[in-house]
Amino acid sequence: MESVIISGLQQGLIYGFMALGVLLTFELLGFPDLSVEGTFPLGAAVTARAVVEGVDPVLAVLMGAAAGGIAGAATGIMHTRLNINNILAGILTATAIYTVMLRTMGRPNTPLLAYDNVFGQVLGWFGLVESHLNTILFLTIIVVIARLLMGWFLSTDLGLAVRATGSNERMIRALGVSTDTMKLLALVISNFLVGLSGALACQAQGFADVGMGIGVLVAAIASVIIGETLFGKGRLNTVLTGVILGSIVYRAVLAVAMQVGLPAEDFKMITAVLVLLALTLPNMKFLGRARSKISGMVKGIKRSRTKSGYSAESIAGQSRGDR
Amino acid sequence: MIELDGVTKYFFPGTVNEVKALDNINFKAQDGDFITIIGSNGAGKSTFLKAISGVISVDSGSIKLEGLDMTGFPEHKRAQQIGRIDQDPMASTAGEMTIKENLAMAYMRGKKRRLSHAVNKKRTENFAEVLKDLGLGLESRLEVPVETLSGGQRQAMALLMATIARPKLLLLDEHTAALDPKAARLVMKITRRLVESHGLTTLMITHNMEQALKYGNRLIMMHRGKIILDIGAEEKKDLTVSDLIDKFTATSGSAFDDDRVLLA
Ligand SMILES: Nc1ncnc2c1ncn2[C@@H]1O[C@H](COP(=O)(O)OP(=O)(O)O)[C@@H](O)[C@H]1O
Ligand SMILES: [Mg+2]
Repeated sequence: MESVIISGLQQGLIYGFMALGVLLTFELLGFPDLSVEGTFPLGAAVTARAVVEGVDPVLAVLMGAAAGGIAGAATGIMHTRLNINNILAGILTATAIYTVMLRTMGRPNTPLLAYDNVFGQVLGWFGLVESHLNTILFLTIIVVIARLLMGWFLSTDLGLAVRATGSNERMIRALGVSTDTMKLLALVISNFLVGLSGALACQAQGFADVGMGIGVLVAAIASVIIGETLFGKGRLNTVLTGVILGSIVYRAVLAVAMQVGLPAEDFKMITAVLVLLALTLPNMKFLGRARSKISGMVKGIKRSRTKSGYSAESIAGQSRGDR
Repeated sequence: MIELDGVTKYFFPGTVNEVKALDNINFKAQDGDFITIIGSNGAGKSTFLKAISGVISVDSGSIKLEGLDMTGFPEHKRAQQIGRIDQDPMASTAGEMTIKENLAMAYMRGKKRRLSHAVNKKRTENFAEVLKDLGLGLESRLEVPVETLSGGQRQAMALLMATIARPKLLLLDEHTAALDPKAARLVMKITRRLVESHGLTTLMITHNMEQALKYGNRLIMMHRGKIILDIGAEEKKDLTVSDLIDKFTATSGSAFDDDRVLLA
């Protein structure tokens, strides 16, 4: 049982970076960014290749995260400059990444157990051995740092403009902000975190695989819902901490389910059904709260459809105003 | 100074639905002018302001602010110099964000947004002060999300946000139309105070002729995409609503057909 808790905690922390990234785009920006299903394994693939080439694992992980950020920029440029619908832009990026990963690794899978990993490396700097507990200690510290940085960023002038782009795009544009630039920035930050998550995941499991990204998005969304349901969604600072805790709870539940003998094949179905229930059971009080937030994501999806210009919006405004 | 030269805007050009919303508009406002704009439904009033703010692009003509040709500028770039509000109280504030955060965003209009803390102590004090001047008691609710305010309070916030960074131009498009009469009066009072105390060049669309006569130092009337009347401060002083309607009928050759116009 102890090992179950440990693996749940470790996974939860690693995927916590991704939950933070997904929170930023899906919820704060109202941008349903599907590139994350590609940038997660991309982070792993780039890290794996770098490690195999003899790059220091710490640098390799940073390279993986940076690759995620660059891919996020690709999605942002497609959407803002080329006027591609946001969902399609994410799908195009994730699709293209598949090729990038195969080219990067030269094959679909790279085992890494024979190489030094980032945990041993960093713990070694502090004279610590690579044990499960020490790894969790290290992960906790960097997740807390990421959480604090995110909270700080979102309270700066720039961060406020990013949040307002999600809250009221017309309004922040009317205050002199290029919302395109804000979207691009948020996509880069988000996918950097997702890439980092993938990079750390490959380091923890000892291999990178092009299929690693399947289902990670719905897991991250589940983490966000769990976090907001259990820990509240009022204040931004609560939400930021909550989604990381949500990620830990989600992974812990999965680990326990595995322990009690639930077949791993069923996990994705269970996650999907859980998210679906949260969306469709408005009468259940504790799920209802999460639902209202997710409907915000859906709002984001709808909002994006009118991206092709302000005409739809201004016509609507017109008929509303001049009746 | 804002200057429009031969500005024309079509909607659905070349189709059966073609509308000439702005028809070769020539217009110039001096610094500090407070100009009210009236006209029947579909006259092109909103389009006129949207052409200036860059919400829509125009088909021909030029738009200059303080001598700078900004005809090709995107909306957000023009917004660095231009504050604006329209009638929807939801549109000009970010509901999920706090009063303090909304003001901080407005305060940064025209400045470079960087990684400094948006609501530091100094700014908070400054915001509390300007909110106090509004007289709505909002200064004690800085941490409250704007969506919890009433429509009138939100429009008052919007006014503060449109003016706090002293834009070169303020555009108001029926910004009291969606409010109840009491809130509308309050917002107009605040409008006048802010415009006058900052000496802001202001264009204000209203469907209330009384209001159009009472406020500002110049009045223009639009019809079918054209400015058909332009009345200066002297003449405006002694004008009544029925004078205005007579003038409209005489110039346009049609009846004033806005059923919302308040003749009272
Ligand atoms: N976004 C738009 N798309 C198509 N037609 C529009 C649009 N905006 C305004 N129009 C048309 O242009 C004309 C002028 O509209 P508008 O400027 O809103 O008038 P006003 O504000 O004076 O009532 C109207 O005929 C209106 O139907
Ligand atoms: Mg109008």
